[in-house]
Amino acid sequence: MANKITLDSYEEYIPKSELDTIRILADKLGKVKIQQINSTRLGGGVAEILAHLLPLMQDLGLMVQWDVMQGSPEFFNVTKKIHNALHGTRAEFDHSELEVFKEITAKNNQIIRDDFDIHVIHDPQPVGLVDTREKAGGQWIWRCHVDLSEADNRVWGFLRQWVENYDHAIFHLPDYAKDLLIDQIIIPPAINPFSEKNRELTEEEITSVLERFHIDPDLPIMLQVSRFDRLKDPVGVIRSFRLVQQYLPCQLILAGGGASDDPEGAQVLQEVYEEAEGLEDVHILNLPPNSNFEINALQRAASVIVQKSLREGFGLTVTEAMWKSKPVIGGNVGGIRRQILHRSNGMLVQSVEGTALRVREILADPVLAERLGENAHKYVRENFLLPHYLKNWLLVFHSVLKQGMGVVRL
Amino acid sequence: MANSFEFFTEAGLVKYTGYKADSLRSLLEGIESVSGSSIFYHLHHALFRWHFETGGHLNDFARWCWRQLQENLLAEKLSSVDPMSYISIHEARQDLIQHLKMHIGEVESLPRIPKGREFYFSEIKSFIIPTGHVATDLQTFYDAISRVDSYSIFYHLIEARIRMEKPENDFSVWIRDELQEYQLAERIEQLSPYVYNLYELRSKLLEMIQGRLHGE
Repeated sequence: MANKITLDSYEEYIPKSELDTIRILADKLGKVKIQQINSTRLGGGVAEILAHLLPLMQDLGLMVQWDVMQGSPEFFNVTKKIHNALHGTRAEFDHSELEVFKEITAKNNQIIRDDFDIHVIHDPQPVGLVDTREKAGGQWIWRCHVDLSEADNRVWGFLRQWVENYDHAIFHLPDYAKDLLIDQIIIPPAINPFSEKNRELTEEEITSVLERFHIDPDLPIMLQVSRFDRLKDPVGVIRSFRLVQQYLPCQLILAGGGASDDPEGAQVLQEVYEEAEGLEDVHILNLPPNSNFEINALQRAASVIVQKSLREGFGLTVTEAMWKSKPVIGGNVGGIRRQILHRSNGMLVQSVEGTALRVREILADPVLAERLGENAHKYVRENFLLPHYLKNWLLVFHSVLKQGMGVVRL
Repeated sequence: MANSFEFFTEAGLVKYTGYKADSLRSLLEGIESVSGSSIFYHLHHALFRWHFETGGHLNDFARWCWRQLQENLLAEKLSSVDPMSYISIHEARQDLIQHLKMHIGEVESLPRIPKGREFYFSEIKSFIIPTGHVATDLQTFYDAISRVDSYSIFYHLIEARIRMEKPENDFSVWIRDELQEYQLAERIEQLSPYVYNLYELRSKLLEMIQGRLHGE
């Protein structure tokens, strides 16, 4: 990005009056000092959103500091196992692993600033830093970016001893939350419309990507962007495409990545190749990480975008597709059904056959496709852009400083 | 000289209550026991969140019965619970309960839906924020309406009346009591979020005020 993105930059997309409200909310926080802590400065969704969000907060005059906890390879091996177990993968932990977690946490206690008013701790890795709250003081918030609905109870029980010591926990969706004694706030994630993955592209930029991947620009494109993972059902997408092709000429692009370092991913990719064997006009693109520009171009070139997940977190790829004014067909699961309102700003499906039917309907009816795409864009513009996320954070800060429910006059 | 009208706007922080429903019976139990703030969120605030779906099922309870339970008859009845017609949340809650109880009494079975499709009762902590816009007459009122955010329109037309248990919206009260514009106040009171989305509501408001400014 050549120019610095400030809240003013968003006037292109969000009414000035709404941005003014955000400014008032920030002004009324006064000199509050906020410390944000996660486990990595680079890579991963949390670091990415903090990198976009914090400059906006600082631009509004908030005193925000971002610190990163330092771990050892052993520590991150344990936290990776914890992460997988929270997603429902059964894992066995021995005593020494849990001790590593506690030891590294204790070594990081010194990063907590006792002169700050609010401490925001992101995800499970630094969750134990709350042990310092008595000494450090302030309000403590645990921001969980993980879907805990299928979490292994033993691992969750291990983490819960710290989580309950926070003042508030924040989840993307109520579906992700747990029975906790503390307040559970719901804040959906958001996208940055100026990022490489979402910025407007020129026709030349889009064409260059299509040419690079030998994609026919004149044939309608059905696209799914996701890693090669069974829960994203890429094989089901090919089966749907097979049904669509019996009625309409079109091509399928499955764009994903991450297969090289993920044994299951490689296996799924193999299954995808096998399913596509003998089919014409199928492009399977195993893209390297950070192919944001290419993904953006493919989404903008698509006629219809599918996210036929069998299970899904919030589904930011759906948000990104909707932002590009595309008709999106999503599996009726997780955060997808919180974003897509069936036949209003997209379509929800439950099966291979249903997906094929909706793709045919959209490809055959450009007016419908345009209406769904326009509504999708509008919905994201009203709900899931970074300033909406920022506004929610400002409300959280106000909320922790003014406890209780009901109505608060600022 | 008229007392001025100060425009506020609303911002809401959503909290999960910890209560979820997986059947009509547990939905009923939830509606009976959750906070008024939760009823407000799912019934009134839903008007704002689904404002572009005018004509559809605008409240969360009706949408869930329709989408997840395929209880279309009940969904229609719950949709007919118009939050604008109640002075208090208590009254709205009682009507929701009555519809649910009647329906439960009429059906043969109450199936449970699969995990992941439950109704999650949330509640909202509302923050009322001064916008800095103030009206002293009809012209400055018009100017402010065109400048404040959509949440401000929602707050003065819908939220303030229910939160303060008032029979009318803030705009109509001020226009009638301070400007003695009785007809205009009445017309604004008739504006329904069931007919117009929030953008259209603002346009309608502006159209009505402009008409009056031009002596219609």
